[in-house]
Amino acid sequence: MVMHRTDAPRLIIPEAGPGEWVLDCDVVVVGSGAGGAAAAATLAESGLEVLCLEEGGYHPTAEYSADIAQMLGRILRNGGATAIMGRAPVPYLEGRCVGGSTVVNGGMCWRTPERVLDVWSRAYGLEAFSARRLEPLFEEVERTINARYQDPGSEGPNNDAFKLGADRLGWRLSKNRRNQVHCVGSNDCVTGCPTGAKQSTLTTWLPRLYANGGAVVTHCKVERILRSGGRVVGVSGRVVDQGFERRFSVRARAVVISGGAVQTPILLLRNGIQVRSGAVGRNFTIHPNVKMAALFDHPVAVRGAHQAWQCIEFEHEGILMAPGLIPLAFQSVAFNDFGPRLAQRMRDHEYIATGGILVDDHAAGRVQVMPFGIPLIRYDVTDEDQRRFVLGASYLATLFFEAGAREVYTPFHHFPRLRSPDDIPRLKAAMPKVQDTEYFTAHLMGTCRMHADHRQGALSPDGQVWDHPGLYVADAASMPGTIGVNPQVTIMAIARHIGLRLGERLRRRAAA
Amino acid sequence: MQSAFEFRGYTRVIARALVETMVPRWPGFEPELTEPVLQRLEATLSAQPRAVQTLIVAGLWGLEVSGPVFGHGLGRLSAVDRDERDRRLTAIAHSSVPTFRQGILLYQTLVNLCAYSMPEVERFLGANRREWRNDRQRLRALLVQLDDPARTPGTPEALGSHGVLTPAAYIEFGAAERVAEAVASSASPAADANPVTPAVSPVAPARPRPARPRRRTATERTATDRTASDRTERS
Repeated sequence: MVMHRTDAPRLIIPEAGPGEWVLDCDVVVVGSGAGGAAAAATLAESGLEVLCLEEGGYHPTAEYSADIAQMLGRILRNGGATAIMGRAPVPYLEGRCVGGSTVVNGGMCWRTPERVLDVWSRAYGLEAFSARRLEPLFEEVERTINARYQDPGSEGPNNDAFKLGADRLGWRLSKNRRNQVHCVGSNDCVTGCPTGAKQSTLTTWLPRLYANGGAVVTHCKVERILRSGGRVVGVSGRVVDQGFERRFSVRARAVVISGGAVQTPILLLRNGIQVRSGAVGRNFTIHPNVKMAALFDHPVAVRGAHQAWQCIEFEHEGILMAPGLIPLAFQSVAFNDFGPRLAQRMRDHEYIATGGILVDDHAAGRVQVMPFGIPLIRYDVTDEDQRRFVLGASYLATLFFEAGAREVYTPFHHFPRLRSPDDIPRLKAAMPKVQDTEYFTAHLMGTCRMHADHRQGALSPDGQVWDHPGLYVADAASMPGTIGVNPQVTIMAIARHIGLRLGERLRRRAAA
Repeated sequence: MQSAFEFRGYTRVIARALVETMVPRWPGFEPELTEPVLQRLEATLSAQPRAVQTLIVAGLWGLEVSGPVFGHGLGRLSAVDRDERDRRLTAIAHSSVPTFRQGILLYQTLVNLCAYSMPEVERFLGANRREWRNDRQRLRALLVQLDDPARTPGTPEALGSHGVLTPAAYIEFGAAERVAEAVASSASPAADANPVTPAVSPVAPARPRPARPRRRTATERTATDRTASDRTERS
């Protein structure tokens, strides 16, 4: 084996060498994000030899530069230029580095709502996912990733303005817990926390993996799932982005795929792995959201935490509102403009607050693989969800005006600006179309959903792909449906559950 | 590393014309952004798959010859002046056909991201992220130091709650020094020669935290008192 060990213990960067690089282990985990890292650490703690393969590179805090364009290319898939096709394209972000999307997310920590778990345990036959049984897993996940409230004072004026508007309206706010230790409001979550405050899997689950003898191998793009005698027995692929050609293969007693809700079904389908229910790639939910901005008379932007609050007043309508502080460059793309006109507006950037509306979607998209292995990712925002977006926009505009905003900017093409609260009824009456709305998402879920009935789901309650012994999925794809809140804690709890069950099974088999 | 992408030949002429139209311009802002933004755009596209790169190039050619389709005249996009290009692109960006609008949206998103993340632009707009990040790194180093159980109580507390900084001052941590540095650098020609702070600078040593009297716990009092009495006995 030719390898280069970095300063981080048990982190392996492949080097050039003759022939195929062949590795052996008990369990190979594909992906090192929220699902992969939690599953890998759990399996390693079960006494198994675990290898975690990551397609991207290893980028510790010291490498997170202030150059946004450079960072996007370094830690995001396709430099962030990824989009879901449908009635309106929905851009999305996917981490492609050790730590996966936990390196680039906003760090919100929400447990799966009990109403959702109730549906999962009753309608999907997932008894292990009742609120009572998941409680210890949630506690452990939160402890591991340091889910906690912001230090007082670190929230910043963007969050303060949002809170002021909600308080004046008497709307209920929920204080966000985030996986951070002394987040100091750098406002650079999406390009990698520059202070190391964010507790991505780099600083939480992966050290637990290392401490228990596991290792992460970077720059390994898995292309093939190896089968023998009716069982999945490993994976193979090629080393990428290293300036040399080399193939690798890993033989293992079990394979856990944790590439996320888009990459996982693509890998399975490219390998001809489908289940009888046809659920691999289906039931794709995305928590679509839209961004809004508001012009204030006092500075509200640039400095502070990404999101300290969420307004849960309209949660029963499937609408969640939140502030969302973003760096200058991202703020510039919140407006549908360019050149001198945008330049003029951006002179006021310090006075522009940003926020977003997240809708608990009802649509189901699909991830498919077309001829020649070309992926097709499709999702159509429904008219019902669009109605809730327009309603949510009217709520958020009301909140901004109540907080003192002079103007509010919407994501709707034909209704881009509200000059006063009097414009809000006109926005609702206009009911902008799906095609005239700019969406965005970072919460992709459900493309290999668990279900106790193999005729309806892709995975068993233990996370095994139905009818494919030895093959497991532990990531956002495993989730039976949309959850209405930021998903990283749910993903980690599910991955932990799958890891515990698989670890127990493999140990028993070895003992027998 | 991904293979480097660059616009070649006439495609570069079109791309340059598009970028020149879309980059920000302000009175009193001297740097010419077109070429640097074009290079950043190429670097950004290097991280994207070949299919996206091909789509971007094809779209540029489509825009180049789109004049007759949109009733803008026969002139090619790159051949008309900047104001006319702006008029044409704005018209397409507000087309009633979503696909056309979304095409322009893709280019303007890429150009805006590249342009507004440039240090010169950030500084001009008063959002010097590089200095801000350095301040934050120092502040967090100080907070982590406060967490050191040898120095402070084991329970992490917010800096604001110590009275070291008020919550209002928290976000402005380092502001006075930033102003002082800005004044110093504006007075120094040498500083102007390379005004950009390194992308990532090492965390500066944390400023010592002002001493704050802390009530001892019962256990600590007992231990300290016992030590004192032991010494007395030995002496």
